[in-house]
Amino acid sequence: MIAYKFLRRDGSSVFTGFRWPLPDGAPGAWVDAPVDPCRSGIHACLPAGLPYWIGRSLYEVELAGDIVEEPTKLVASRARLLRAVTAWNDGLRDEYTRMCADRAHSLALGASPPLGEWDAVIEPSVAEGPALLGFVAARIAEERHGIDAYNAERARQTAWLVERLGLQDAAAS
Amino acid sequence: MAEHVTCQEVVELVTDYLEHALQADEAALFEQHINFCDGCEWYLDQMRTTVAAVGRIDEEDVPRETRDKLLAAFRDWKRG
Amino acid sequence: MTRIGVQHSKASADEAELVARLRAGDERAFEALVARHYGTMLAVAQTYVKTRAVAEEVVQEAWLGLLQSLDRFEGRSSLKTWILAILVNKAKTRGVREARSVPFASLAPEGDERAIAPERFRGPQDGFPGHWRAYPGNWGATPQVALEDRETLRVAMRAIAALPVAQQTVIRMRDVEGYGSDEVCAALEVSAANQRVLLHRARSRVRAALEAHLDG
Repeated sequence: MIAYKFLRRDGSSVFTGFRWPLPDGAPGAWVDAPVDPCRSGIHACLPAGLPYWIGRSLYEVELAGDIVEEPTKLVASRARLLRAVTAWNDGLRDEYTRMCADRAHSLALGASPPLGEWDAVIEPSVAEGPALLGFVAARIAEERHGIDAYNAERARQTAWLVERLGLQDAAAS
Repeated sequence: MAEHVTCQEVVELVTDYLEHALQADEAALFEQHINFCDGCEWYLDQMRTTVAAVGRIDEEDVPRETRDKLLAAFRDWKRG
Repeated sequence: MTRIGVQHSKASADEAELVARLRAGDERAFEALVARHYGTMLAVAQTYVKTRAVAEEVVQEAWLGLLQSLDRFEGRSSLKTWILAILVNKAKTRGVREARSVPFASLAPEGDERAIAPERFRGPQDGFPGHWRAYPGNWGATPQVALEDRETLRVAMRAIAALPVAQQTVIRMRDVEGYGSDEVCAALEVSAANQRVLLHRARSRVRAALEAHLDG
């Protein structure tokens, strides 16, 4: 099963610090971790989950063994990194951040009356990066139109990422 | 079901998270939040650092009287 | 998990040496052992008996009991586990004799205690309610030296000494001594959930003390 995984710049896991064998022309070595809810297992996501896990480096990953599907992520007992998704670079991160900030502004100001307090939060949050701005935009959508709007905004973010990262082929799965 | 947690909620969930006592969906929301929120990432790190610091406590003062009594008892035990 | 495994095998090698030294009558080894565990043993005893003075007696009795049964210690459980068993046994016996009026249920966490004051978060009328008003310090960027020096340790120790008995006992057992959660729940006769609440409150208070010390 093909999925995606964000890692820190140095190729280590965001939450565990585990150092992944990185792909270098060929896929990285297989890694095994028994699936035990909340305790162990390898985390990855489908395109729909990308906005929730935004990180520095993006990899395409192959999952095998036991695979558990959760709302925004997959947990697998076996995985290897296939390739770095190099399209996800600092430039694209900044573009995504700006896209989310612009969406957040238009959602906040388009409300009637405008969600001024929310609008004031947007620009100061930009420096903190794309993950935060993605959340802010979706949160403002939720403030206006409820949880369905939050999910719709997240889906919008996924569509943007899939297109710009060239993940169309995988998007169907 | 909640779709997200706030920083205020996160600081109360930290111990359960470190104890692996959160339900899967709560743990996912917790991690999503940590992923985008620098403040809470630093707070989680502060809690881990706190635990590590406490773990380095190795010896404490024993009241003199207690120490003397126990040493006397140890000597008795040695002899017996 | 690997890290804990490494601590375990080092701990059991240390323990075997310690037991050998005790059997050989090494006073320094005994003094060191007492000093290492005294604070926690006293805290555990205080959850069973009424006064600190009685708790100190219980701890002394436990150390005597340990010496008297040292011949029988075979190293199948850890020394820590064994000491705890002797202590809890002595404490319970004494507690029954004292007709302890405060039930074990008093270890249940009381009231509502917040890890962080509500004012530090944005309010319901602000954009981004529940978010930090100002982020806490990034200790990852603090030089390791500041985090590991004796003064920082003293701040942590003072904070622990100031905790309510139940919180102090749990954080001592879990984080100072490294007893597992099951062992703590069994020794204190508290549920896993209550143990976690006590641990959470204790750690939150100690963190706050460290924050005041490090961030000024």
